[in-house]
Amino acid sequence: MRTIRAIFIKQARDTLKNRMTLVQFIIFPVMSFIMTTLVAKPAEDTPDSIFVTMFAAMFAGMTPLMMTNSAIAEDKEHKSLRFLVMAGVKPSQYLLGIGGFVLLSCSFVAVVFGLIGEFSGLELVKFVFILILGSVASVVIGATVGIFSKNQQAATAIGTPVFMILAFLPMLSIFNDTIRDIANPLYTQQVRMIVNESDMSITTEPLLIILANIAVAFILFVLAYKKRGLKA
Amino acid sequence: MIKMSNVIKRFGEQTVLSDVSFEAKEKEIFGMLGPSGAGKTTIINILTNQLKADGGSHKIGVAPFETGLMLDEDGLYPRLNCLENLNVFAGIYGISHQKSLQALKSVGLEDAMKKAVNALSRGMRQRLALARAILHEPKVLFLDEPTSGLDPGTARGIHQLILRLRENGSTVFLTTHNMDEAVKLCDRIVLLHKGKIVEQGAPTEICERHNAIKTVPDLEAVFIEMTGVTLQ
Ligand SMILES: Nc1ncnc2c1ncn2[C@@H]1O[C@H](COP(=O)(O)OP(=O)(O)OP(=O)(O)O)[C@@H](O)[C@H]1O
Ligand SMILES: [Mg+2]
Repeated sequence: MRTIRAIFIKQARDTLKNRMTLVQFIIFPVMSFIMTTLVAKPAEDTPDSIFVTMFAAMFAGMTPLMMTNSAIAEDKEHKSLRFLVMAGVKPSQYLLGIGGFVLLSCSFVAVVFGLIGEFSGLELVKFVFILILGSVASVVIGATVGIFSKNQQAATAIGTPVFMILAFLPMLSIFNDTIRDIANPLYTQQVRMIVNESDMSITTEPLLIILANIAVAFILFVLAYKKRGLKA
Repeated sequence: MIKMSNVIKRFGEQTVLSDVSFEAKEKEIFGMLGPSGAGKTTIINILTNQLKADGGSHKIGVAPFETGLMLDEDGLYPRLNCLENLNVFAGIYGISHQKSLQALKSVGLEDAMKKAVNALSRGMRQRLALARAILHEPKVLFLDEPTSGLDPGTARGIHQLILRLRENGSTVFLTTHNMDEAVKLCDRIVLLHKGKIVEQGAPTEICERHNAIKTVPDLEAVFIEMTGVTLQ
């Protein structure tokens, strides 16, 4: 436990000092805030929170993935991971420390989104819950990509197409039914659809799809781990 | 304390270590002297289980967490400051942050403790890497070229620290291509050339054996006699 804690703190300190990653945290809530206050609604019947839900769904799909991925890849590139391993840190402890921090900070941002969207009560709880669930899937996928990346450059090269599929298919699915069918099994699509529902009702099917995503991501992660480990 | 028997290591076609055997006793400073490419780092990597040997056996007499390590790559967190870097490991080892301060003092970095690693000079980084290696007062210390590229004053400081560590009961395994350093520090050394051990013993004893003591023991002369090439 103290090991996970030490790595969690390291990641927290490091993130606060890393402007590039901080931007990833701030950009989506800020954009949603600006759009909500300044931009006219596309149509009369769209809800006030349209931009909040849009950016929140993008955030949950992208930020945890990219952050986990680049944190692992950077530790590999700078060989700091070697010293952790030599100090007796187990891979699971390392991943829980990094992933735990990313998840906690994303949960915090999810609440900020909820407040910007002026959700309250049960609505807010459901909104934050679904974003966190999506973030879990994102973190695990990010860790899987991180395992396959030798350095940060490779992490971006592998991570970007993964992220494009996860983030843009759901967006394009608004315009095209075929794309919607393809995007349907993706957790990012389900998160987007749930937060866009007026009452944010979480029915069994989307919930199962998201959980299945987490399960698949976790299996991929275990396989990747068995194949590559955390070797630099 | 540290033992290698008939170790062989190949990288593809190239045989990097052939039939390497030696033993470092408890509480001695054991030096591995050889020119660039001799296989010194490879030996440390095998001893610390970062690399697998292709033959032979090796053993360290203490548990992995009782070893300290300074490699040719420092593995420091660039955005964290000196103290924060050490505190990550203090957290992992479950020792007080007071020890981090102590370790910084012993390498003369107490005035720079709030400086980010990014902003350190090469020599300062090297000293910080050494501080991390000795943080948990390990019984066995591996130092890969601890003074290479340092000015004489800083190098002398590190020499004194290494001698003090032996006094306190640590076993030190170091590599160097500086023969003065080897004569000054090491109780026993091996001379390594192209992955083969060409001589081993106490520095003065080796030099006597080869009639290479003029005013001071001249390991360079021994090395040239044995291999036909110079150390540097
Ligand atoms: N990962 C690797 N793949 C292929 N060859 C390698 C690898 N690591 C080391 N070698 C080769 O093994 C030989 C010994 O390398 P090693 O790093 O052990 O030398 P060294 O004695 O530490 O040298 P230096 O003083 O420059 O640090 C070199 O010829 C090097 O090219
Ligand atoms: Mg080397």
